[in-house]
Amino acid sequence: MPAELIRILIGLVAVAVSVGLIGLVMVWVERKVAGHIQRRPGPFEVGPNGLLQPLADALKLVGKQLFMPDKADPILFWLAPVLSFLPVLLLFLPLPVGDGLLALDINLGLLLILAFSGLAVLSLLLGGWASNNKYGLLGAARAVSQSVAYEIPLLLSVLAVSFVAGSLNLAEVVKGQGTWPWNWNIMTQPLAFLIYMVSALGETNRAPFDLPEAESELTAGFHTEYSGMGFGLFFLAEYANMVVVCSVATALFLGGWHGPVLPGPVWFVLKVSLLMLLMVFLRWTYPRVRFDQLLNINWKWLLPLAVLNLLATSFFVKLAQTW
Amino acid sequence: MDALLKGLAVNYLAACDFSKAGKSWQVILPAASLVKAAERLHAADYFIEDVCALDCEEGFVVTYHFAHFAIPGRVALRVVAPHDAPAVPSIAGIFHGAEWHERETRDFHGVVFEGNPNLIPLLMDPDMADCFPLRKEPKSRAKMRDVLEAGQVVHCDPAFDLMTPAAPPDASDAAQAPAGDKATA
Amino acid sequence: MTHTPLLEQVAGDFYTNNFAKNAQEGSLILNLGPQHPSTHGVLRVIVEMDGEYVLRAEPVLGYLHRMHEKMAEVKTAAQFIPNMGRVDYGHALGWNWAFVGAVEKLAGIEVPERAEYVRVITCELNRLASHLLWWGAYLLDLGAFTPIMYAFDDREKLLDILQIPTGSRLTYSYYRIGGVAEDLNEDCIARIREFIPWMRSRLPMYKDLVSDNIILRKRIEGVGVIEPEACRRFGATGPVIRGSGIAYDIRRSDPYSVYPKLDFEIPTSELMDARGRYDVRIAEFEQSLRIIEQCLDMMPEGEVLVKGAPKPSWKAPKGEAYFAVEGARGKIGVYLASDGGKTLYRTKLRAPGFCNLSLFAEVSRGTILADAVAILGSLDLIIPEIDR
Repeated sequence: MPAELIRILIGLVAVAVSVGLIGLVMVWVERKVAGHIQRRPGPFEVGPNGLLQPLADALKLVGKQLFMPDKADPILFWLAPVLSFLPVLLLFLPLPVGDGLLALDINLGLLLILAFSGLAVLSLLLGGWASNNKYGLLGAARAVSQSVAYEIPLLLSVLAVSFVAGSLNLAEVVKGQGTWPWNWNIMTQPLAFLIYMVSALGETNRAPFDLPEAESELTAGFHTEYSGMGFGLFFLAEYANMVVVCSVATALFLGGWHGPVLPGPVWFVLKVSLLMLLMVFLRWTYPRVRFDQLLNINWKWLLPLAVLNLLATSFFVKLAQTW
Repeated sequence: MDALLKGLAVNYLAACDFSKAGKSWQVILPAASLVKAAERLHAADYFIEDVCALDCEEGFVVTYHFAHFAIPGRVALRVVAPHDAPAVPSIAGIFHGAEWHERETRDFHGVVFEGNPNLIPLLMDPDMADCFPLRKEPKSRAKMRDVLEAGQVVHCDPAFDLMTPAAPPDASDAAQAPAGDKATA
Repeated sequence: MTHTPLLEQVAGDFYTNNFAKNAQEGSLILNLGPQHPSTHGVLRVIVEMDGEYVLRAEPVLGYLHRMHEKMAEVKTAAQFIPNMGRVDYGHALGWNWAFVGAVEKLAGIEVPERAEYVRVITCELNRLASHLLWWGAYLLDLGAFTPIMYAFDDREKLLDILQIPTGSRLTYSYYRIGGVAEDLNEDCIARIREFIPWMRSRLPMYKDLVSDNIILRKRIEGVGVIEPEACRRFGATGPVIRGSGIAYDIRRSDPYSVYPKLDFEIPTSELMDARGRYDVRIAEFEQSLRIIEQCLDMMPEGEVLVKGAPKPSWKAPKGEAYFAVEGARGKIGVYLASDGGKTLYRTKLRAPGFCNLSLFAEVSRGTILADAVAILGSLDLIIPEIDR
């Protein structure tokens, strides 16, 4: 038991450090990519090519005064950003970064991830409600219906993969895949991959599904009244969620740490970075989907397709077993 | 225009030179005929351009400009409202866009449009709703005939002399100098 | 001892209270603006919402009201021209033209032919700049952050071109009574000739990347249907009415200047929704480029300001005049009445946005909030011209 505990603690420390680093790197990447897509250089002044810009941003956010609106509920108001950020640290534990390199090697790794990512919804709701602000309320209501809706196809597509692999343990799923792309699960489950990526965009409130924080309609949605570190925590949590979701996609569909020549963790990081870059590109290219269209996409397209995919998968798995 | 407004009580109807004044017809009506005239114009597919007012000696000249999508030219309907109690019936029930124009005219001149569904200040602050910035001092007001375009008169009510030139340079059948000097209330 | 009122007792201002008088049970009354990222200026719209649906909407104006019409009674006719640049910063030259044209009509002043061509060229360039601004800002409202950057890239070139004769980048006061202030020099004309093919080469990219994008199409198709009959009742003009199928353009219906000699089309759309208005404005890019090309070729030599043009102390003769031009947003009308005194007796500025916005309350009833924002953007509003 103590060995397990030590392993989890080391994992937590590593996760905390890397989440901070990831936040910094992602801020720079996002702003640079946004700039270049928009034909401008992006952050340029702070540090060579703007590399120290995230540091400046972080210092600014930390240094701001923490204040809340007059009639806001203080406990809930300050609980919301904390609640959005802390559970995310937990989500990193079952992720296999390399062969045997994971903090928590349990049978229900996937279930753990899916369960705790539901807490993010709660934090959005609390943030919007506790702000005593009509915009916040509208943003929170949107966030809840969106997150709840998109969890289902996410779950179903993940289930399809675990049917094939026979386990909910991410390490097992990755081990079941091979070194080369044609051995990865994306070959056997392409539809599940697509459904997963779209649902991931919906879950993490990233564009084109970023209605809960739709700037041009709701000023800033559920985080209208947050500034300084409160906003910083929401921000960090969003990036951390993105990383979790991309990491799960990598582990399930893109072969995890498998890859020729280079060591496992390097491949893992490369693949996760590729998926993150894809998400950033999507944000700066497409307009926003309208809210009812968002739910339509989910209930009329993703869900039936995910169900069909699951049924087909289970059919073929059973067939393969009996043979 | 003459044919369109047949049967309504009209004080003054003149055809104007479009290239000079920017309008083809000028009609001065009593307030009672305004709504019916607007209905006729609506039925003839005219659209409302704007509603404004001028502060002249004889009263507030509330001007309605209408135009047509297919027929070139512009029609100016005018109603003269007295200074002490300026009230004009609203045409917002027929041309819904007039609601905002009438609110603006009330803000600037204080003309009350009876029947306007929402006669609250549009551009002025509610605290300054009674400021009426475009009203003029009595000594700087001009006569209607000096400012407005006379045009070629088609019909002029004999009792209506607000547009009759005071001293016409040449005699025309509309301008009668002796009649112009007779004062009417 | 002063008693500070609690927040609950401060229950909204005059307009919110007036609006709330007819509120339904259980609805949410929300103020969009006056500070809001997508109301294109200082516009406030009070909406009554049932969940995501807009039950009622009422625009509240006056936040940008500077009483230009009173200023016109205090300044002489020639002194009032710079005001026209501030009324609508998007299409300032259109307003310049409307006012100067009205004064010229009143006084019977002929404008030299070269000046007419210069006016057409600069006005159409300004129209392009205005449409680019609209396009970028509209897509920003809909959540796409990139097209506005591309639009502003094009707009920089336009603004640099227009800076040469006018001296300003945005709020132009370039036209004078009897012509324009300065001629277009060789450098300016060369730059315009360079600009036209470059702009033409950008349009297909905008079409592929933005106009044909499925998400954009889903956001604006079927949204904000405005019947032509509603346009008539409210006096809406410009792309709003052309997007509803009626080909009404002042440049063809009441032609002015040299437009009768030019060959261009009036784009219309039968769609009547936000997509129709979008398509009309995009098509107008090409038409404006055509007009500019023809003018550059047809422009004669000569003066650009009539001899004996009015000085600032000039008094307008007695009479009245109404002059309308086709602005980027619709029919810009200026009505002048003069009693021969130092200043004009009455100046009425007829803003196209004023009538276009008055449609909004009716059109947005029953739509989703996101659609209401899309409709507001498709009307192409610039609030300073609505408030004047």
